This record gives sequence, structure tokens and C-alpha cells, in this order.
Amino acid sequence: MVVRVRVRNAETGATVDMELEMENTVEEIIEGVSAYWEKDPGAYVIRKGRRLLRGQQKVQELDVQANEELELIPDPEGGNR
Amino acid sequence: MAELIRPGERDEDRHDRTRLITWVDMDKVSSSNVLVVGAGALGNEAVKDLALFGFRHVDVLDMDTVVRSNLSRCVLFREGDQSSGKGKAPLVAERARGLCPEIDIKAIEGKVQSLGPEDMKRYDMILGCLDNVAARLHLNANSYHAQVPYVDGGTDGFRGRVQAVVPPFSPCLQCGMNRSHFKVMERRFSCTGQDTVFYQPKMAAEITTTSIVAAVQVREAVKILSGRSAIANVMHYDGLAGTSEVFALDIDPGCSNHLSAKLS
Repeated sequence: MVVRVRVRNAETGATVDMELEMENTVEEIIEGVSAYWEKDPGAYVIRKGRRLLRGQQKVQELDVQANEELELIPDPEGGNR
Repeated sequence: MAELIRPGERDEDRHDRTRLITWVDMDKVSSSNVLVVGAGALGNEAVKDLALFGFRHVDVLDMDTVVRSNLSRCVLFREGDQSSGKGKAPLVAERARGLCPEIDIKAIEGKVQSLGPEDMKRYDMILGCLDNVAARLHLNANSYHAQVPYVDGGTDGFRGRVQAVVPPFSPCLQCGMNRSHFKVMERRFSCTGQDTVFYQPKMAAEITTTSIVAAVQVREAVKILSGRSAIANVMHYDGLAGTSEVFALDIDPGCSNHLSAKLS
């Protein structure tokens, strides 16, 4: 089974649709859209509504609906220099 | 006998206006031992806020010295500090005493990796003001195992994040990390063939986001110490959009910190 979701880039507002298998993980979504948008190497998280998704979670665990929007957010690492 | 008061005496109390916030436990604030790890941009702001808020027992740890490019966002550093040879931690401690002579603040010059769970147990609250994933993971694991609340802050340009970890109930930093974090961590370490070198890139940083993130860290510390709930669980700040949102995060059943806590 395949589900199509929309992923929004929090930095630019751009969106892309992504077809996901139930076995795909959140980490694979992050890597897929990061490559598509040619993001700088850095740490990112995905949110679904008001919840941050864990990297190892599979699509089948996410209760994600067709065409639901997820958002890719940079996870800032700096602060001491 | 009636209580004796004098005109204007309330203005002599440094913390009179804070005491008007009835839920803030100023006794707990002033008696708590706080560790601030990192005396750079976030650490400067955090210590400034802690000192002004009424915290009286603070340790600040850093291994670094000041460079001139720190001066754009470090409120406690001064022109000339970069050539003084003094470390960031002693300078922050010295300037915090200037803000509040009653503060008992100790500088620790060293790496976060020198601190283990037994060291963490001396504290009631730990603030992470760091700039890399490896140091965060060390502090996160050790504070979690010591069962000490840990409030972590991070910035990148106009973006920031704050996570409050209150063991054993809340998810920890590691619970929210994924492969992208570990790839960042791997890129920081490079092998020269003879040694492993830690590479620290220059990251975008500015004072307004730094101030906001550190202020939220200190506010969360005040809330937790006063018996209120902390943010659940991660606040992301977007300075360009002028927004901040708090996102829930689940405990990762595979997280080594939570697994070992269950086993012990």
C-alpha cells in the first residue's frame, strides 16, 4: 500500500508531494526531501501537526492520511561560539 | 503589635517585582544549584538572566577563550577580553558578580565530557548552551541518569530550539534525534590517520535569537524549580516568521537512556 503526502520546507515554504510505502521511515522522508531540495548538510526533524516524529518510526505507525502535510524543520545545533 | 513599614521600602528589595508573580518560588530559585554548560553566546545570556532573576548558586563550564567575533552576541564580554588570555567561564563568572554581588558563581574550565552522572547529582538544574551534537548527547545522557532536569538550547541564524527534559517522565534529547543528527556528529570528527580531529564549522548566529532562546531556557528552569510543568516538549522558534511553536515528542522505546533507566 502506498500513501501520498505533501512535505513543506519550513525554511522556504516550498512543498513537494512524496509517495510513501508503509515500510518507509521518517528518516527516509528527511533524506528524500533534503536531497530533493539540496539542503545544506544539517540536522532536521519532521513534524506532523503538533507532534515531532521520531526518525525510526515507519509510515504505518504514523496514522498519516492521504495528502496530509508534513513539515521539514531545521534542528539548530549552534549556540556557544 | 502591628507590622512596621516604611515608605518606599519595597523598592529596596531587588526582587520585589518578581515576587508579584505568585507562582515563582523565589526561595527555591535562590537556593538551587544550577550548572550552565557553555559560556559562549547562549551561556552569556543564560547566566545574565539567572543572576538577574535571583539564582544564587551557579557553576559555569567552558573550555574556550574569547575571540573578537564573540562580542556581537555575548553581553558579558568586553572589548579587550579577546587578548586577556582569560577563559570564557571565568570572565562570565566575574561579570555576573558585577550584575549581582550576592551570586555565588564558580567557573569550571574544562570539557563537558569531564562530567559524569555523579557530578551532575550536585545540581538541581542543568542548562545546555552548547554548539554540537556530541556534547549535547553527553550532557543529556548524564543528566538523565542523574535524574536532574536538563534544558537544552540551540540556535542557527534566526532559528532556535529549546527542549526541557525532566527525568523520568519526559523524552530526552536523544529520543528526538535521527540519522541526520548523527551524520552531523560524524562530520565533526575526521580522522587524520594519526588522530581524530574535531572540526567545528562557523555557524550563523546573532544576538536577538540567542537572547530569546536563552531566556526561554532560564524561564523553563524557573518553572520546573517552582513546581510547574515545563514545555512539552520542544519549542521551535522562527525569528523570520516571528513565530514559536511547542511540539510534542514521544519517548523513543529504543533510546538507550530510557532502556538503561528501565533496567536499573
